Amino acid sequence: MTEFFLIIGIGMCVLVLLCLYRATYGPTILNRAAGISAIGTKTLIILLLMGVVYDRIDMFIDISMVYALLNFLGTVVLSKYLERSGEA
Amino acid sequence: MIRESDDVIVKAVARLLMPFIVVYALYVVMHGHYSPGGGFQGGVILAASFVLLGVSHGLGKTRRRMSEKVAGVISSIGVLIYGGIGALCLILGGNYLHYGKLSKLLHVTPAEARSLGILGVEIGVALAVMAVMCTVFFAIFTVGESPEDDRSVE
Amino acid sequence: MPVKDIIVILFMLGGLFLFSTATLGLLRLPDFYTRLHATGKGDTLAALWSLIGLAVYHGFSLTSAKIIFIAVFMFLAQPTATHAISRAAFRCGVQPWTCELAVLLDEDTVE
Repeated sequence: MTEFFLIIGIGMCVLVLLCLYRATYGPTILNRAAGISAIGTKTLIILLLMGVVYDRIDMFIDISMVYALLNFLGTVVLSKYLERSGEA
Repeated sequence: MIRESDDVIVKAVARLLMPFIVVYALYVVMHGHYSPGGGFQGGVILAASFVLLGVSHGLGKTRRRMSEKVAGVISSIGVLIYGGIGALCLILGGNYLHYGKLSKLLHVTPAEARSLGILGVEIGVALAVMAVMCTVFFAIFTVGESPEDDRSVE
Repeated sequence: MPVKDIIVILFMLGGLFLFSTATLGLLRLPDFYTRLHATGKGDTLAALWSLIGLAVYHGFSLTSAKIIFIAVFMFLAQPTATHAISRAAFRCGVQPWTCELAVLLDEDTVE
């Protein structure tokens, strides 16, 4: 079963690399913010899959919860700042 | 100055999630022994809850719950707890932060006294880190404004 | 193969498929609002299915309860973040993509 999770993890890493295109070449800042939020969600799932592969998932759950929180917070703060400053 | 946003969705979700973030921060502080966590990480998550409040409800309401003066007092209390436990170990006859000597005071075995000593130190660290992060957040987001700006017509 | 393993494999493959379609939408759709639509909905559901798959893999234990907490948090927080971004774009004046503009430009008329 762990080989299956490893293959899924490699597939998600490829998807992260694809999302990086939008995070670097997006025409405006908000495009990049959306790309970073998508990368954050995939990173969270990759963390949990690595925990299952190394059979120590108890350590990785707290970290992934904190990362979900920080991803949400960063996106909301950035969008509020850009809305206030008036440029896309 | 961040004024209160008129966005119902972000305000409602922030109001709903904030108590759970605080409880999770306390869990991270308490479980520093067994899982990744400890004082610094828990303090940062506590401060993150205040940042969420400040961004969604405006800086005025956040100031009513945690002003700069209260943040200064809490950071000093955190350092007092940390240094106080170390000094208490000095008074009881060991080195600085030698938690085993606390077993005479608390009537437990030296191993349990070490565990409780570390827990107390982590709580002090979490309080200090939270207060300093809140102060930094206030300092960054009110740059260049004075209190007279709030009273202007808007 | 026990039933639990089949359920886990189905959920994880479904999550990977949804992640890939959401990424495809993020790359190829023509406008900011449509891209946000793709990533906001697709990523949330894909994360939910992947987390449920991982929770079923561990059975009834504390680990599964914590994974379900993460899933509930993601279900609440990610659409809110998407809403905040799209509201910022609307307030800053980002215009949605319309189809008539392409047709009109082909015919060399100024609108």
